[in-house]
Amino acid sequence: MILTVAWIVPLVGAVALAAFPRWSEARARQWAAAMAALSLLALVVAWLGFDPAGPLFQHVDELRWVPSIGVAYRVGVDGIALAVATMSALVFVAAIVYPVDTLGQPRQYYAWMLFLQAMSLGVFLALDLLLFYVFFDLTLVGMFFLIGRWGHGTPQVSALKFFLYTFAGSLLLLLAIIGLYLSIEPHSFDMRVLIERQPLAGTGLYAGLVFLALMLGFAIKTPLVPLHTWLSQAHVDAPGPASAILAGVLLKMGTYGMIRLPFAMMQETFAEYSLVVGIVALVAILYGALVALGQSNLKRRIAYTSINHMGYTVLGIAVAAAMFSDNLAARQLALTGATVEMVAHGLITGALFLICGSFWQRTGEYELDHYGGLAHQAPLLTGFTVLAAFASLGMPGLAGFVAEFQVFAGTFAVYPWLAVLGVLGILITAALFLDMLRRLFFGRLPLHLGQFAELKRAEWGVLGVLSLGILVIGVYPRFLLTLIEASSVLLVGGR
Amino acid sequence: MLWTLALFPLLGALLLYLAGRRLGRFGLTLAAAFVLLMTLVLTGLAITSGWQGSVAWSETLALTLKLSAAGSVFAVTIPLVALPIVVYAGYHEVGLRDDYRTVTAQGMRLIALLVAFVGAMQLLVLADDLLTLLIAWELVGACSWGLISHKWGQKEVPKEAAQAFLVTRFGDLGLYIAAAAVFAGSGGFGYADLAALDGGLLSVAVAGILLAAAAKSAQLPFSSWLFAAMAGPVPVSALLHSATMVAAGIYLLVRLQPTLSTVDWFAPLVIGLGLATALVGGVVGIFQNHAKKLLAASTSAQYGLMWVAVGAGFPGVALLHFVAHAFLKAGLFLSAGLAERQTGSYQLQDMRQGRRLPGMALAAGVMSLALAGMIPLGAAWSKEQIAAAAGHQAAWLALLVALAGGLSALYATRFQLLAFGRPLRRERSKLPQGPRPSRAERGALVVLAGVTLLLSLVWWPEVQAWLTGAWPQRLPEGKPWELIVSLLLVVLGIAVGFVMTRRQRRSSTCQGHAATWFGLPTVIQTIARGAVVLGHSLARFDDRVVDAGLRGTARFGQWLAQRNAQQGEAFAEGVPDVMTRLSQWGGHWARQAQSGQTHHYYTGISLGLVIIFAILLIGALL
Repeated sequence: MILTVAWIVPLVGAVALAAFPRWSEARARQWAAAMAALSLLALVVAWLGFDPAGPLFQHVDELRWVPSIGVAYRVGVDGIALAVATMSALVFVAAIVYPVDTLGQPRQYYAWMLFLQAMSLGVFLALDLLLFYVFFDLTLVGMFFLIGRWGHGTPQVSALKFFLYTFAGSLLLLLAIIGLYLSIEPHSFDMRVLIERQPLAGTGLYAGLVFLALMLGFAIKTPLVPLHTWLSQAHVDAPGPASAILAGVLLKMGTYGMIRLPFAMMQETFAEYSLVVGIVALVAILYGALVALGQSNLKRRIAYTSINHMGYTVLGIAVAAAMFSDNLAARQLALTGATVEMVAHGLITGALFLICGSFWQRTGEYELDHYGGLAHQAPLLTGFTVLAAFASLGMPGLAGFVAEFQVFAGTFAVYPWLAVLGVLGILITAALFLDMLRRLFFGRLPLHLGQFAELKRAEWGVLGVLSLGILVIGVYPRFLLTLIEASSVLLVGGR
Repeated sequence: MLWTLALFPLLGALLLYLAGRRLGRFGLTLAAAFVLLMTLVLTGLAITSGWQGSVAWSETLALTLKLSAAGSVFAVTIPLVALPIVVYAGYHEVGLRDDYRTVTAQGMRLIALLVAFVGAMQLLVLADDLLTLLIAWELVGACSWGLISHKWGQKEVPKEAAQAFLVTRFGDLGLYIAAAAVFAGSGGFGYADLAALDGGLLSVAVAGILLAAAAKSAQLPFSSWLFAAMAGPVPVSALLHSATMVAAGIYLLVRLQPTLSTVDWFAPLVIGLGLATALVGGVVGIFQNHAKKLLAASTSAQYGLMWVAVGAGFPGVALLHFVAHAFLKAGLFLSAGLAERQTGSYQLQDMRQGRRLPGMALAAGVMSLALAGMIPLGAAWSKEQIAAAAGHQAAWLALLVALAGGLSALYATRFQLLAFGRPLRRERSKLPQGPRPSRAERGALVVLAGVTLLLSLVWWPEVQAWLTGAWPQRLPEGKPWELIVSLLLVVLGIAVGFVMTRRQRRSSTCQGHAATWFGLPTVIQTIARGAVVLGHSLARFDDRVVDAGLRGTARFGQWLAQRNAQQGEAFAEGVPDVMTRLSQWGGHWARQAQSGQTHHYYTGISLGLVIIFAILLIGALL
């Protein structure tokens, strides 16, 4: 029940916001924050009730829906899904609480936010393929309106590009899901059955095509090079909190989907192509970092680092899928690392995009050259940005390091060269973040920034919570690793 | 419990930063000194009672701490050296707010970061596995970035800080790979697992560790990051060059030497790199006119000598030289800071503060002599030991070490005479005068000079016997001729130093080239610029080419839609239209055929029969 509560509550909240047109901005925001927090609370309860020694999927709810074609309402989580879902709920709470200009339509804004939260959590909680697909697509709708109505620059164009591009990915995904559905007798959309029976093990072209469609669909969402160009434009024009959700939550659906569908359901096929996927991930790591280094726009720069970081995740997944390697511990480490990267990146990049939002609210400018010397003027903003930037460049003691270290250590044992080349990514990210910090905060303060305001309480409160999460995971990640390892052991076949 | 050694200064730094705004200069300095003293006490307790520490992150990842012999020496030396430096910093760098009572945020941050630096370094020398080591290793780098960018308001400073951080982080990548290689071979990350490796994985791990150590210890080809680090204030340089950061590299080699030396190429590579750095660094020091950069080049050179000792199989000797060097180099940097305060620049030609600060000149003189390797100071003994260790490998190696010693005598003399010598007669009148150094600054310098003097005790056979007892490794036995040659070179170096500083000479371009590591910084900057240019061109490529595919698809779709709207629609309209007309025409024709006249019907029937027969005939013939 607890998982159903987790995603229904925000949906109810959204409906309520739509139904009460008299609510003021403050009221709408409080309501939305309360609903989002309740949902987070439900997931925390689910976390506390999760038994690491238990079966793969726990807290399972099942309800008959369309029995004739094997569709049912099925939700349940393993450690990976629970970790990512909880992180997502936290990012949603942060994004909702973060002050933003709602352009006179606060109810609509917060209603879409809550709707998006419900659908996003649904993606991570669903155990039924069709349900998964429905949630997966409905998140696009929520994000489309958030960018299109509350964005800046050319929001309509960016929203449309985002929607159409990722929707094309969804269609491939739908084909693949039908392929998976038809491959099993009796036909079923139940993920647990598909994972257990591995229906497409070693069936040649059919399996290859289904795998390709799945991976392409998720690669667009992740995004992997060269399917990434929707990302930067959508980010630049989206409002800060929507960007935080786009990077923190929506991108995770791509990599989470890779783990849940192709990795878990088509192990043999994935093993066959794991090197190819690994090389694509390596390209994403290096290309994303280098292109980010070449950006002079604050938000685009951070957007491209997402491509780099999701590359680490995909690299970890690819290594974990390399079944032919008998180094079980390394594969498990890589999968754990990939999942921690998802959680870490959600918190870190969420914080970074919220910071971008603060910059935009103050000056309406993303160009790095517009800024400089803000360290004295806005010490809190500087402090939080430095922390998030160092977390993003993989500084030990912060969340990103725990993830990247595990990914590299696992990768080296299976594909040494990918690890050796991949670590160059953390050098380039270090360069680009130090350069960013220098251009924003150091040097002389330009005259036009004399009135630049320090963070307000709501802003630093939210950033403080996210930073605390980043710090706790970086210093003592045991609580997170125990949860994730419970599932990664089962998924790589170690137990 | 061992964790307290690292956590106490780290948390203390945090507290200092949060609560420091209420404190005055004295309070802040006292608090910081107290934290370091407590760390020292804790270290003593840890050594005597054999503390250990470990925390499990997960089943695979565990952080373990253990006090090794080398680690103990470092763990004591680090806070000991840091103590006078922090006191000096409190009075040399920390400014006061407008109310003249409480310290500025910048000063507070400096002191807090210095203390945190000590904490990170303590963690580094206590680590017993590569994961913990890597954590501390990168934290030390991050602290140094924060410290070097102390004066962030100046345009160049953050760039220099970034350069120092990035060059050393490039070395850190080696540790990532080394840790991964150990995991691939053994499933763990401990130093013990490293020792159990063999074959290719061991080579990879050793190469990674060497890369990391070379970058941190500023060996060739990474030496020039130390020049970039000079953008930081004096106490930062003093700490960075003596007991932290640069020391990390040599610590790692000393700690892991038994394992590392099992690889064939370890000894030649380490000796080669160390000697090259010692000689080149010596030349750089001779021609450098920036007081701090001269000392920085000397740091590279001295650590190069320690590398030689490790490579030759005597890590204990390297350790001794590290201790002697830590105190003298910290003191020399602090003295350079005092001289700079008088003249307003680090240009050695403008200093000559011997008359103005005679006491400080004396203290600096002791440490310069130690750096020069002059008997009977402690650093001289450890340097002779290094020459002896090299002599165990080959006599010419000992000679080269002695030559490097001569070079260090030369640049040490140059530093002393230019910074604290008597002013030239014609320039005596125009020397600027800064504020007198405070008691704290003088005290710090005198303490460091005193320790340097105290270390002379190692020349006593009793002390040497005690050392070999405490340190379970043998010391190299030097030959008398090595000692004589070495001392001759030292004396020669000092003499040349006197001659060189006698006259105010203009430096040629060739010398300027030598003074900046023979163009090494340019190479590094070129690489960095290349990466940035690559980034920019890839960004353009991304916008114009990769995204063009998407735009092309969109345009094609639009074109298709338009075609469809024009031709397609016309076609779709046309087909039913033509069909309608055809059937209309057919209906019309059929109606005409129904004329009701019999001969018309007969004509029709006969025509039909003819056609049928014709078809049958054709069929039969075919």
